[in-house]
Amino acid sequence: MSSDSAGNLVEVRGLCKVFPTGGGNKVHAVEHVDLDIAPQETLAVVGESGCGKSTLAHLVMRLLEPTAGSIMLDGVDIGSLKRRELRQHRRKAQIIFQDPFASLDPRRPVGQAVAEPLLVHGVARGADADDIVAELFTLVGLTPSMMRQYPHQFSGGQRQRICIARALTLEPKLVVADEAVSALDVSIQAQVINLMMELQRDLGLSYLFISHDLAVVERVSHRVAVMYLGQIVEIGPRSAIFENPQHSYTKRLLDAVPIADPRQRRERPLISGEIPSPVWAPGTSPERVELVEVDTGHFAARED
Amino acid sequence: MAEQQDAVDPEPILSVRDLRVTFGSFTAVDGSTFDLFPGETLAVVGESGSGKSVTSLSIMRLVELGTRGKIEDGEMLFRLPDGEVVDLAQLNESEMREIRGNQISMIFQEPLTSLNPVYTTGNQVAEAVMLHQQVDRDVATERALEMFRLVRIPDPEQRLAQFPHEMSGGMRQRVMIAMALSCDPTVLIADEPTTALDVTIQAQILGLMRDLRETTGAAVMIITHDMGVVAEVADRVIVMNQAKIVESGSVYDIFENPQEDYTRALLSAVPRLGSMTGLADPAPFPLVDSAPS
Repeated sequence: MSSDSAGNLVEVRGLCKVFPTGGGNKVHAVEHVDLDIAPQETLAVVGESGCGKSTLAHLVMRLLEPTAGSIMLDGVDIGSLKRRELRQHRRKAQIIFQDPFASLDPRRPVGQAVAEPLLVHGVARGADADDIVAELFTLVGLTPSMMRQYPHQFSGGQRQRICIARALTLEPKLVVADEAVSALDVSIQAQVINLMMELQRDLGLSYLFISHDLAVVERVSHRVAVMYLGQIVEIGPRSAIFENPQHSYTKRLLDAVPIADPRQRRERPLISGEIPSPVWAPGTSPERVELVEVDTGHFAARED
Repeated sequence: MAEQQDAVDPEPILSVRDLRVTFGSFTAVDGSTFDLFPGETLAVVGESGSGKSVTSLSIMRLVELGTRGKIEDGEMLFRLPDGEVVDLAQLNESEMREIRGNQISMIFQEPLTSLNPVYTTGNQVAEAVMLHQQVDRDVATERALEMFRLVRIPDPEQRLAQFPHEMSGGMRQRVMIAMALSCDPTVLIADEPTTALDVTIQAQILGLMRDLRETTGAAVMIITHDMGVVAEVADRVIVMNQAKIVESGSVYDIFENPQEDYTRALLSAVPRLGSMTGLADPAPFPLVDSAPS
């Protein structure tokens, strides 16, 4: 949606992902999503459980095949890539998951886990690989001597640093962070977020930052997309989304965030509503929302 | 404590003194002393492993069940409705059963694992009432319906007949709260009650808990890692770190005038909505140096 579309690292157009469920019903997890990510930019995608934000992340990584639409990464349509080309292409985009314990092999020293992408892609091996891994450990605030230790010997925050190091081994341009700091204690979360920002500045990374936590998103993002039932209902510069939200769902999300200041305690009206189901019966499908530009680069869905 | 409400009863309903809980050679709670007063909401806040959940499980005397947990030392003086004071640490299992669910009830983080998947939610709430109050099923079901209304479950009559899997996470947590309040406890312990919920649902449940304190008068002890939740609901706060209480005070004292380095470090790491207003680019957290690692 940027006017300077030629310079974008990621361009997603008309992306849809439909999962069949029982009885001919379908979950419309991602519906007609368009978005861009510029080099060195963090685009945050926020929304509640089931809104499709993680499915979107997996589609961008091509861990899932889209039902429709296209994803351009660094000028290449990743949907058109054959297996061998895709492998080469994967070097440009890496993902970090929520649970750093589940994403590390408990029986292998963490240095091996970080070195694996180098071996798989034939970038380096042996002592050369060790040198690169040692450098990465230092980069993420660990010490090279930790390479020989096992995942259980690390705290959650350290494990997530290891996962970040692994994501950076192949010098990607895009890092997809799928709730990457959600499982961490706040003090550790703050340190890991600060590290991610430092790495963005030093390495020129772009982030697709998937999160349910609006206060975290406000701190890390350049732009924000709000997802609701598979569709983007509002997208724009961070300050526009947080200071001048247009869509009722964005307002509702912002209003629900607990404020860490007892003086600002609000008597909330007890909204009783819940998000409708994304499951659609055979022959039915969700109505497509129409985004309108309300300000430069700030789009919001038209509401009745 | 200047900001504490006048209405608070000066006699604590629960007085914990020098509580020490161990798991083998590991000390999970190390000399905790605090009071819980009728009608107040006390937040116990801390990071993973600080001992906050072990504190609550010790009060319920659940810490020794199926684990190596042991209450080594200390008193947990609980005032019964008739004024008699008992030491929860000294009660045997059958005496504890009289108190659990009746006088002190608890809700947990994950409502799905706390509910039995093969019984309807109405059935489970009614069973809790029958177990504790020796009433027949009709009276208990009527009470369950009343509780569903109290926690604002829409269409309560229909919902009584639903199974846990037919409900959303927020609705299940309402059922758990309904069950916990069904026997009019004087103390409600809520261990991370909104952590597994989406933010809009969390707001609803926190609002509900605030309202219920007014209507039921129960003292609430909320265990949480989330300073936002603390600021929203607590009257007083206990900050725990590495098995010890490092600071306690009114919610205003803790947020506006924290005395301890740990509390300051913890507060500096809290993401605050609105803290970036007016700034164009992302910015790192301004962490206080002594942030725990």
